[in-house]
Amino acid sequence: MAEDLNWAVGGEAGDGIDSTGKIFAQALARAGRHVFTSKDFASRIRGGYTAYKIRTSVEQVQSVVDRLDILVALTQRTIDENLDELHEGSAIIYDGERSWEAEIPDEMTAVDVPLKSLAEEAGGAIMRNIVALGAACEITGFDVEYLDEALEKRFGGKGSKIVENNKAAARAGQEYVQENYDLDHLGYNIETTDSDYVLLNGNEAIGMGAIAAGCRFYAGYPITPATSIMEYLTGRIEEYGGHVVQAEDELSAINMSLGAARAGARSMTATSGAGIDLMTETFGLVATSETPLVIADVQRSGPSTGMPTKQEQGDLNMALYGGHGEVPRFVVAPTSITECFWKTVEAFNLAEKYQTPVFLVSDLAMSVTEQTFPPEAFDMDEVEIDRGKLVDEDEVDEWLDAQGHFRAHAVTDDGVSPRAIPGTTDAAHMSTGLEHDELGRRTEAEDERVHQVDKRNRKVETARDDEDWDYREFGDPDADNLIISWGSNEGALVEALDYLREDGIDVHVISVPYIHPRPDLTEEIEAADETIVVECNANGQFADVIEHDVLTRVKRINKYTGVRFKADELADDITEKLSEEVPA
Amino acid sequence: MSSDVRFTDFKSDKQPTWCPGCGDFGTMNGMMKALANTGNDPDNTFVVAGIGCSGKIGTYMHSYALHGVHGRALPVGTGVKMARPDIEVMVAGGDGDGYSIGAGHFVHAVRRNVDMTYVVMDNRIYGLTKGQASPTSRSDFETSTTPEGPKQPPVNPLALALASGASFIAQSFSSDAMRHAEIVEKAIEHDGFGFVNVFSPCVTFNDVDTYDYFRDSLVDLEEEGHDPTDYEAAKEVILDSDKEYQGVLYQDENSVPYHEQHGVTEDMSEIPDGAPEDAMDLVREFY
Repeated sequence: MAEDLNWAVGGEAGDGIDSTGKIFAQALARAGRHVFTSKDFASRIRGGYTAYKIRTSVEQVQSVVDRLDILVALTQRTIDENLDELHEGSAIIYDGERSWEAEIPDEMTAVDVPLKSLAEEAGGAIMRNIVALGAACEITGFDVEYLDEALEKRFGGKGSKIVENNKAAARAGQEYVQENYDLDHLGYNIETTDSDYVLLNGNEAIGMGAIAAGCRFYAGYPITPATSIMEYLTGRIEEYGGHVVQAEDELSAINMSLGAARAGARSMTATSGAGIDLMTETFGLVATSETPLVIADVQRSGPSTGMPTKQEQGDLNMALYGGHGEVPRFVVAPTSITECFWKTVEAFNLAEKYQTPVFLVSDLAMSVTEQTFPPEAFDMDEVEIDRGKLVDEDEVDEWLDAQGHFRAHAVTDDGVSPRAIPGTTDAAHMSTGLEHDELGRRTEAEDERVHQVDKRNRKVETARDDEDWDYREFGDPDADNLIISWGSNEGALVEALDYLREDGIDVHVISVPYIHPRPDLTEEIEAADETIVVECNANGQFADVIEHDVLTRVKRINKYTGVRFKADELADDITEKLSEEVPA
Repeated sequence: MSSDVRFTDFKSDKQPTWCPGCGDFGTMNGMMKALANTGNDPDNTFVVAGIGCSGKIGTYMHSYALHGVHGRALPVGTGVKMARPDIEVMVAGGDGDGYSIGAGHFVHAVRRNVDMTYVVMDNRIYGLTKGQASPTSRSDFETSTTPEGPKQPPVNPLALALASGASFIAQSFSSDAMRHAEIVEKAIEHDGFGFVNVFSPCVTFNDVDTYDYFRDSLVDLEEEGHDPTDYEAAKEVILDSDKEYQGVLYQDENSVPYHEQHGVTEDMSEIPDGAPEDAMDLVREFY
C-alpha cells in the first residue's frame, strides 16, 4: 500500500466546507498527487454536520479508509464524528479563540490556530478556511505554491485582490504553525511529482460522456444526487448546439427527452429513486415506440424519500423490471468514474443501435466522489459513435410496403427496424405505445402482437450475441474465492485485495458493468469454492440475479447504512464471510 | 416544403373509429386544412397526441406522429420542437388529457411559449371510458361517477392559459369548419405557443354540450369587433362565464418564442462521427 495521507475538513453546512475541500484537492492534483474525495452531508442547506475528506497518495487511490491524519475541525461535532478514524499521530487544526471549547483526546496533536483573526487580518473572516489550509500545508510539508494555483483557479474570476487576500490568508496559517509548533515528529511529508491530473466526479464524467457522445438534448428535474449532471450540461451543451430544459417534473422530463429523441437528437434524462418511479410510466412507450433514449438513475437510499444524501444501490430491480408489461431494455452500470464517462458513450450507441431505452445506473457514492485521473483516461479520440439503422432519404425506398408506407417497425431478423426521423421524405409514420403493425398502426391481431413482441425482444438477443458484455477482473483469477460486485464498490474491492493479501487470503474479483444483458459467470462461479456478491443494498438484488443465472446459492455482503464500503472494512467483511457456512 | 400540398395529403388510409357524428372529425379536418394552408407537408410535420378519443388523431392523419401516454403529449411536442426547430409541431389532446392529468404540463408549456400549436378537443366528458365527468364538465352534469354532478366549478382552460402567461389563446367549434380551420391556421402562424380550445361535441355521452347548444350560444369575437391584442379586452371575454366565444381571444404581438429567447436554433439530429473536435477542452476544464 502506498504511503497515503487522509485529510478532512468538517463543520456546519454553509461553512464553505465543500469549497475548502475542493481547493485542497485541486492543489494536490496540481502537484501530481492522486486524490480520492468523499463527502458526508445531510439533507439540509444550512447547519448540520458536513465534512469533505481527501485521501491522497502518489499512486491512484480508489477508496476511502478508516483513517484520518489531519482534521480541520470547525465544530466539536467534527471531532466527535471522526473519533473512530483519528489515531495517535493525528493532528487537529481548530480555532481556540472561538467560543467552543475543543475537546481533543490527549493522544492527538491539537493545533490551535486563530483562524478567524488571521483571516480578518488578511482581508476577511470568510477566509478562515483558507488559513486552515495554509496550516495544513505546513503540517504536511506540502508546498503552499500549489495551493496558490488552486486559489487562482477558484477566485481568478473575482479579481486579483480576492486572489491575493486568499494567498495571504494561506501564508498566515502556514507561518502561524511554523512559528508556534514543532510538528516534525508527526512525520508527514507530502511528496509531489511532475504529473498533473484532472479531478472530477462521476456525475461530471456522465455529463462529459454525454456531450462527447453527441447528446444534444437533456431534460431533467432537480433531485439529489442526479442534479449535478444537469448542472454540468447547462451552459456547456449549448456550445455544441444542444440544450437543457429544467422540466416541471420527471414525467415531463422523460417525455421531452423522448420527443427530442424521436425527432432524431441523441437525448438523455437523469434522475434518482423517486424520480425513476415517476418516469416508469413512460419506459414502455420508449420501448414500444422503439425510441433510443438514455435514462440515468443516480441511486440514493430509498424507499420513498429514504435518505436523500446517502449511498445505496437499491434501484437495480427497478432498472431491470420497472414498468408494466414487458419492456426490452439495456441496463449498464458504470463501475468507476472513468467508466461513468465510457459507459455513457456506450449507452448512447446501444440506444441508437437497438432503438430501446438504456438505463445507466450509477450511485451517490460515485456521483459526489472526486477522483484524479491522467487526462488520457478520457481520450476523446477513442469515442466512436454508431447511430445504427438511421435511414437516409435514398434508403427509404427499401423499407416501403406495396402501398408506399414506411415500415418503421419492420420485422427483421435482428429485431432492429429502420429508423426515419422527421423531415425524411416519404417516411412519415406514427409511433405509438399501443401495439401496432409494421407500419406503426394500432392492431390487436394475435399474430401481429406476437411478431412485434418477439421482434422487440429479439433486439436484446441480437445485442447479447453481437456486443461484448465483458467484465473487469482483479486479484488472482485462480483463487478459490470469487467476489462479484457491481457499481461503485469496485474501488473499495480493489484496495481490499491488498489488506486480504496481507492476511494471506487470495481472492478473484469480478466487477460487472453490464446488468442486462450481463456476462455469463457460470464457469467462474462453478470453478470457485466460494462466491460472495457485494452490494450496497439490504436484500442482494444483484445476488438474486446471479443465483437465478447459475442456480446456485451465493454468499452476500450487503451494506445499507447509507455509507459506501471502505477498503479496510470490506476486507474484514470478506474474511468473516468466507468462514461462514454456504447458505442452503 | 412543397407548395402543392392538399389537406387530403395529411389524411391516412385508416378509417376513424370515432362515433358517427363525433366532433373530432371536424376538428381533425380543420387541423389538416390549416397545416396545408400554412405550407406544411406530412414529411415536415409532427403530430403528438395523448390518450382518449382525441389521442387517436395521429392514426388518422398522415405525418410523423407520436401517440403517447395520457396527459404527456405537450412535453413530447416540446422535445420534438427543441430538437428540430425546422419541424412543424402540432399537439392534440382532449379536455381530460390536457386539463386533468396533463394540467401541470399545460401550465408550463404555456409559459415556455415553445413555437408549436396545441389543439384541445373539448367535449366536456370522458368519452372513451364511457361517460365520466371531465374537468370542463358543468358542475351539475350527471355522469356515472358524478350522479349528482361534480359539484365543483369546471376548469376554465382559457383563463388558465391567460394566467399562465399565454401568448395566443383561441377557441373554435369543430362544426363551424371554415372558422375552425382559420383559427387553427392563425395558431400555427403565431410566433410561440398557439393554444386552441375546440368545442368538439360528444354525441354519445354528452347531451348538454351539443351541436345545437354551441350553434345557438356561440358568439363570434370577430363579428363583435374584439381586438385580441388588447389584453384587458381579452381578460374580460375570457373571464366571462356567461357566454361561449369563438375566435382569437388573445394574441401577444410581442411574443418571443422559446427558441429565440434561448438560442435553440440548431438541428440537433446532426452530430459528428466521434467526439466533437474540441472535446478535449471538456477534460482540460478539470485541471
